[in-house]
Amino acid sequence: MWQLGPLAFAAPWLLLALPALPLLWWLLRVSPPAPRTQSFPAIRLLRDLPPTEETPHRTPWWLLLLRLAAAALLVLGLARPVWQPQAGGGGDGPLLVAIDDGWAAAPDWPARAAAAAGALDAATREGRRVALLATAPPANGEAVAATALMPAEEARARLAALRPRPWAPDHAAAITALAAFRAAHPGPLATLWVTDGLEHGAEGEAAARFGAALAEAGPLTLARAAAQPLRILPPPRAEADRLVARVLQAPMTAPTEATVLARTGDGRAIASATLAFPAGATSAEAALDLPIEIRNQVVRLDLEPEAGAAGTVLLDERFRRRPVGLSAAVETSADAPLTGDLFYLDRALGPYAEIRRGTPEALLARRLAVLVLADREVPEGREREALTRWVEEGGTLVRFAGPRLAERPDPLLPVALRAGERQLGGALSWDRPQTLAPFPEGSPFAGLVPPAEVTIERQVLAEPSPRLTERSWARLSDGTPLVTAVARGKGRIVLFHVTANAEWSSLPLSGLFVDMLRRLVALSAGVQGAEGEAPLAPLEILDGFGRLGPAPPAAAPIPANRVEETVASPRHPPGWYGTAGQPEEATWRRALNLSAHLPPPRPAAAPPQGARVETIGGVPGERDLGPWLLALALLLLVADLLVSLVQRGLVGVQWSRRARVAALLMFALAAPAGAQQADGAAAIATRLGYIVTGDTQVDEVSRLGLLGLSDFVNRRTAAALAEPHPVVPGRDDLSFYPLLYWPVLAEAAQPDAATAAALNGFMRNGGIILLDTRDEGSGDGMNPGARAALRRVTRDLAVPPLAPVPEDHVLKRAFYLLQDLPGRYAGGQVWVARDQDRANDSVSPVIIGGHDWAAAWAMDARGQNPYATIPGGARQRILAYRFGVNLVMYALTGNYKGDQVHVPAILERLGN
Amino acid sequence: MTASVIVPWAESLGAALPPLVVQAERVASTVMQGVHGRRRPGQGDAFWQFRPYLPGDAAARVDWRQSAKSDRLFVRETEWEAAQTVALWCQGGEAMAWRSERDLPSKRTRAELLVLALSALLFRGGERVRLFGLPRAFSGRGALAALAQSLPRQAVVPEDGRIPRHARAVLIGDFLAPLEETRHRVAALAARSIRGHMLQVLDPAEETLPFTGRIRFEGVGLPEEALVPRVEGVRALYEERLARHREGLAAIASGSGWSFATHRTDQPPEGALLALHRRLAPG
Repeated sequence: MWQLGPLAFAAPWLLLALPALPLLWWLLRVSPPAPRTQSFPAIRLLRDLPPTEETPHRTPWWLLLLRLAAAALLVLGLARPVWQPQAGGGGDGPLLVAIDDGWAAAPDWPARAAAAAGALDAATREGRRVALLATAPPANGEAVAATALMPAEEARARLAALRPRPWAPDHAAAITALAAFRAAHPGPLATLWVTDGLEHGAEGEAAARFGAALAEAGPLTLARAAAQPLRILPPPRAEADRLVARVLQAPMTAPTEATVLARTGDGRAIASATLAFPAGATSAEAALDLPIEIRNQVVRLDLEPEAGAAGTVLLDERFRRRPVGLSAAVETSADAPLTGDLFYLDRALGPYAEIRRGTPEALLARRLAVLVLADREVPEGREREALTRWVEEGGTLVRFAGPRLAERPDPLLPVALRAGERQLGGALSWDRPQTLAPFPEGSPFAGLVPPAEVTIERQVLAEPSPRLTERSWARLSDGTPLVTAVARGKGRIVLFHVTANAEWSSLPLSGLFVDMLRRLVALSAGVQGAEGEAPLAPLEILDGFGRLGPAPPAAAPIPANRVEETVASPRHPPGWYGTAGQPEEATWRRALNLSAHLPPPRPAAAPPQGARVETIGGVPGERDLGPWLLALALLLLVADLLVSLVQRGLVGVQWSRRARVAALLMFALAAPAGAQQADGAAAIATRLGYIVTGDTQVDEVSRLGLLGLSDFVNRRTAAALAEPHPVVPGRDDLSFYPLLYWPVLAEAAQPDAATAAALNGFMRNGGIILLDTRDEGSGDGMNPGARAALRRVTRDLAVPPLAPVPEDHVLKRAFYLLQDLPGRYAGGQVWVARDQDRANDSVSPVIIGGHDWAAAWAMDARGQNPYATIPGGARQRILAYRFGVNLVMYALTGNYKGDQVHVPAILERLGN
Repeated sequence: MTASVIVPWAESLGAALPPLVVQAERVASTVMQGVHGRRRPGQGDAFWQFRPYLPGDAAARVDWRQSAKSDRLFVRETEWEAAQTVALWCQGGEAMAWRSERDLPSKRTRAELLVLALSALLFRGGERVRLFGLPRAFSGRGALAALAQSLPRQAVVPEDGRIPRHARAVLIGDFLAPLEETRHRVAALAARSIRGHMLQVLDPAEETLPFTGRIRFEGVGLPEEALVPRVEGVRALYEERLARHREGLAAIASGSGWSFATHRTDQPPEGALLALHRRLAPG
């Protein structure tokens, strides 16, 4: 190693070749470049030219410079220059690189990896062997252990495979691993510790002890990030209408800021809150104010600047829409429009809560925030027990009165009820329907304004009791309670003294009903209920950087009721756990968050005495310049080669032309075949089209056939057809072609959706497709399997019901009067649409036959017909052409000819 | 029927007319117009007679002034004092097939075009055309295609004992062979009272030597090489040598009573054809 400022050379002796460059200069100067060769007929005139200019043609100075530069770069590159080489670990013996690869390493992981890689580079140069010790437990669940000693190149690969883990490093285990390593490799050792500078345990000084143990083993270099906040984002607090996020960080000397972003499932950030940390602060709080509808879309909170897995909180249903169970006495009629017990509840709660339906017992099997019983009595037994237990654990039970409840009150009510109900304003009552009084202070409904049009006609009445007043959340204007509530255990029971439908009152018809229910749901203590022991499999797992990915094999399921207390570890990495369901809404998933159980970050003690401290990041690491210089030298040599070729006339004279040809060639290769006919060109003239089958021979027959037919039509009729085009349905615009010829190959594949859509559109808009199986009169010998292929290709096409061409079909008299429709073969059946469809002038969108018409029409460059007709004869050829003319006329004019032109002739013929 | 399909068998009709013949006709027609468009007594075109119009005569040949004097149509016939037989030779060989750029025609292509165009003119004037080395003479308008097909079979050197005495000869080539060789051939022809014309067709590169740098020149069809260290330096010398060569050729021509002209393949052929025609036209 030979250092020159920030530049060092690993093989400096090679630089001795630099003084040899002038020699190269001299060699190049004396030897002229090879001459170009040029053929020249008038060579006799060049014979024996007197040497007019004695100076030989020299290598031009710029070429000389180019070659010298290439040679110099080659020498410099081979001398293995290193920019800003990193000092080695000091000391003797192998190098132990310990890396903290826990969650705290994620924000500046590239810098950490670069610091370790720099040490490995230095070890490579010094020929040291290296061992790696990652302090976080590996993902496969094994214990923390150092690798065996290995060459630095090999260690580099291991290092490149390291990633920050979504859990904390275990320094205590690292101490054990270090001891084991020392036992295996006593003797001198240098150590490098790329540390995150945190104590990861709730208490204890494991990190400091690990540092001390490293220092004891040999000279210790400590690579540490510059002052940078390490933060964690524990799961937020869900309040009624907002999420309160609290962020913890290791104390910093300067004030800092962080942002919490609320993201939806597809990664959009829909809200953010900024937290300010004064100097020395360890925590800060901010609220994310979100309307409930939007809040339900939030599935994760992310900390900015990026903090990895510890700065990511996945929000499962505990933070989302409150699940509300609805249950009625009679499920069948509960949904009857306008009269059903649950009709209004379902609509009022639907936008704000996740509605579940079923019997109370079934509903309570899952977590539930609110359970609404609409006029349903709770009989004694298991159901009442389950309900009571659920309410006492924190559930909110909302009950609506009704005829059944009025008959049989049960204890799950906030107040004792009088038997029967009170009717106001009925036929036998002097009272008038009552309106609502303003909501009392202290009621959850306080602040809502009862509209005057809400009237109550019937209600159940509470037995008067001293506590009735405090239990009343809403009253009528005469003071009788309308909504009463009582706390029971951690939960509460709420009773509406009216029905949940509009039978007893107009309350469910008003917007007030919606507001009251929303307040009740917001009031509920969140999801309550037991979840059981069902194991939740890992669905998606966070990596150290906070990105979701598939679960690693070592991740194990968690029992549903233990998700809360599970600490993220290799066995249970943070992420989504649950049961995958179809459809996706049925997926039930719980989030395991790394930050839920992390202690507040606290800085580790000062590094042990004598340790060298390096700051990672910011300073660019060492850079090996050798490959770059060699690549540059190679480029220069390539340029030199090109220049030489040009000078010898091997390239360059026709350069532009060749480049153009090459570009054209590449364009032609890149563009799909047949793309040369732009749509604009197809629109200029009327022309026939044939569908490209991919079989070159068949396509050529189609082309020649339509060419021959077009020529025949041009000569015999007033129609002017241009050259036929090959078309690919789905790619080319079919709207310019009145008629498409489609030879069906036996191996034809079923058309894809785009093709079928294009063809259906073509037929719908009045186009005609002539499907030719080319197998008529020949058995299956000529084109075996064509019938099956025909069924296959037309499967997705909107082919109308078909019938053989009737005698009086327009196709047989559009221009010529024809009996048969022969092609190359004759005698087969030709099929057209059976029904007349006035939409397209009764024109059949498909004509199907097997006469191989194109072969009959085909005409080669000499004007001859290359394909003989079978059974043969000029007559058949003429008839084939005539059919073609009729077909073109049919395509161009529809049924116009059918009933006009030939009427006299047909009459005459009929008369005979 | 603007965009109608191109009748496929038009190809077979057109195949009978090689493109070179068509081009030659086109070139020849420009010359005819150039000479005849003046409507005044022409040099060498002496009035011969009026004769009654016969079906098949071109309408352009009708002398309207004379015809107006009576009820009949008259055709004005002129007598053109020219040799009865014109022998044509166009040099072959690899060197003639050379061209310096792809966009230019080769010297051979140009020479053949000139031969054919000249033949077309001569046929129109009723002359007979021979090719050196071929036994028969061509005449009549339809003979042009046959002449075109015979071109490759003509003699390599302009020596043919069957050429009648006092015939006219037109030699087209690059004449880069040594002067002595050319002198020998021309003298042999002149000895038989054949007068003629030499047209040197050269590629522009052969005239200007546009190359630069160090170049090894290789002969075409000649096993010869010349290494020029700096072509720019010898350009003037080359041009001087070429000029001397041409002077030599001109001297050979005038010594035998012949004429000599030069033509470059990057120039239009019409000019050269007109010059050739002029040389042949005045008796």
